[in-house]
Amino acid sequence: MRKILLIAKRDYLQVVLSRGYLAGLVVLPLLIGGSFGVMALANRGVGRTERVAIIDHTGGGAAAAILEAARQTSQPAASASIQPPVSQYKFEEVKPEADENAQLLSLSNEIRAGRVALVLVIDSEGARYYSNSAGFDQSGARVRDLVNAGLRRVRLAQLGIDDARISEALRDVPVTAMNLVKQDPGTGKIIPGEKRTGAPVGVVPYFLAILLMVVVMVGSAPNLGAIAEDKMQRVFEMLLCAATPFELMAGKVLASIGASLTTSAFYIAGGMMVLTGLATFQLAPLELLPWFFAYAIAAVAMLGAWSVALGSACATPQDAQHLAYLLIVPVMAPIFLMQPILQQPNSVLATALSLFPPFTPVLMLLRQGLPGGVPWWEPWLGLAGVLACALAVIWAASRIFRVGILSQGKTPKLPELMQWVLAG
Amino acid sequence: MIPRMQAVEFTGVTKTFRNVTAVDRLSLAVEEGSIHGFIGPNGSGKTTTMRMIANILHPDSGTVRVFGEAPAGTRSGTIGYLPEERGVYRKMKVHALLEFYGELRGGRDVSPEIDRWLARLGLGHCAEQKLETLSKGMSQKVQFIACVAPEPKLLILDEPFTGLDPVSADALRAAILEIRRRGTTVILSTHDMAVAETMCDSILMIFRGKKVLDGTLASIQASYSSDTIRVELENGGALGPLPGIESVKDLGKVKELRMAPECDPQQVLQALAARARIVSFAVMKPSLRDIFVRIAGPQQEEVAVA
Repeated sequence: MRKILLIAKRDYLQVVLSRGYLAGLVVLPLLIGGSFGVMALANRGVGRTERVAIIDHTGGGAAAAILEAARQTSQPAASASIQPPVSQYKFEEVKPEADENAQLLSLSNEIRAGRVALVLVIDSEGARYYSNSAGFDQSGARVRDLVNAGLRRVRLAQLGIDDARISEALRDVPVTAMNLVKQDPGTGKIIPGEKRTGAPVGVVPYFLAILLMVVVMVGSAPNLGAIAEDKMQRVFEMLLCAATPFELMAGKVLASIGASLTTSAFYIAGGMMVLTGLATFQLAPLELLPWFFAYAIAAVAMLGAWSVALGSACATPQDAQHLAYLLIVPVMAPIFLMQPILQQPNSVLATALSLFPPFTPVLMLLRQGLPGGVPWWEPWLGLAGVLACALAVIWAASRIFRVGILSQGKTPKLPELMQWVLAG
Repeated sequence: MIPRMQAVEFTGVTKTFRNVTAVDRLSLAVEEGSIHGFIGPNGSGKTTTMRMIANILHPDSGTVRVFGEAPAGTRSGTIGYLPEERGVYRKMKVHALLEFYGELRGGRDVSPEIDRWLARLGLGHCAEQKLETLSKGMSQKVQFIACVAPEPKLLILDEPFTGLDPVSADALRAAILEIRRRGTTVILSTHDMAVAETMCDSILMIFRGKKVLDGTLASIQASYSSDTIRVELENGGALGPLPGIESVKDLGKVKELRMAPECDPQQVLQALAARARIVSFAVMKPSLRDIFVRIAGPQQEEVAVA
């Protein structure tokens, strides 16, 4: 154990005192802050008034009804909490021309020139709109809502209901989002659900899961190139006289865990300070932090050992880059699975994916942080799976490391690595 | 007289890599406190043998004993190993690196020994420099210090003089001899036959994984007859055919003749005297270099596995 700790200490200090690590530590918050800055810049235009041209072929007052619906929905709702920032639409009715295509071309050019945001055409078959939108904004949904609200007004008017009653009937009802009601396990007292404020409740666990992925990557990925570099520099043979391959690998994995925990502590402390500064400390997921660290340690042990093994099999750092996908895929894959889990956190698919050991740390942590949480046994089962998987990976990795560390020549392919695992 | 303990004993040791036999049923004994030289062509199995002594590789069959004990874990406290393929953490400072290796090998702070060795090998001023700033020779000396600072009982040096200038090589040679005088057993491999002849108490030659020579220089030479003539002629010209001479090697001013078993050196002398004025003429046993070339020369091949 003394040798493992000695190797771990040297490797840990080498990592955390390197310029790359320190720069990376600062760059990530800058990137996140920068992305918020870019969003703020992108939203600078949002909130301004945009012109919408309506061409009404029905002749039945549809355009006027839509204009009225738009006027009413532009009033701030009493129940509004936080709504995504949107532009104000200024609807202008344009009389239909004989050559419809020529008129639409002219208005399309107005859109291209930025003078008009959208052209809405209503006829007996329905409504359609023309815009420059790439489809990621809310313009389509807003126009659809306005058209339908307007046409409902037309239909109700046709049924003989007067304008005042129509407005009263179509008035929005405030709907407030609440958190679930809980029961204090000690006193049995029922704790009412709180009114949700600010960002969606999934944001904090989402960022925590992303942070976990980052620290796992920061802890394990550098081993790949560093081990290949050390191997190319012929460092290991001198070390192998003093320490067994297992001691060497264990020391390096321990150093990876240390680097990950240092990164985690830095970011979590920074996050707490930000939340405190914004007077939103109640959003801090304190109950998730023990799980965060447990998952981080298990995941870095698993992927750190794997990256050490891959690095030892490579002849050069360039070769290590070619094998990097074997490390990156299990780390990055959960990020592509987060969206369906955010939508249905307790579906069978979400449960199954979060119990798959390589994905467990990120996905289970995410589900634990979402409203409703998960059954108490799922995190324990997931953690047990990750630990079992980590042990299996460490065992296989140590067999690859033992052979790879002294091997020379070309980098083995995946089947050869499997052969090393089986033959030892 | 009490016989000395064997520092290293191999009994029928075989090591193969896939289908290549690197070491083939090798038996050897290295006497404690001696300098034992390993010679042999590239790829003959010297490095594999040294790695098995250092317990970095394990034999497929046969037994390896170091100071009477079978291998268990690493032998870091007992053995200092300087591999042929040398490397260090280039970003570390010299003293910090040596402290790390010293603690890893010896399990204790070896700073006083490090300071003494740095001064002894003229590297005292480099203690706080990063390894990447040192020359190859200086870096090699640092690695040597990493091996000897924990004061091992057995020092294994795989081609320690390769790449060193004559001054550094002399300094290293003196250091090795001093270590031996303190009782440390030294095993070194070399391609320099002069080093093997002058430094080593006994010599082992491995060829294609098999032991082909083992003993003192005198005992090895004793197994060969005095079949070599070294002659220097005044005009230094070509010799032409001579009675009973199998081959002639031109060493420059001196020619080396190898006699057939039935050859009479007196007849050779007479034949030479009839052709030219003789400056020197000596009948001798073959040098270690000659013996090496006789064994490995005709079929010498580079073997892929060390």
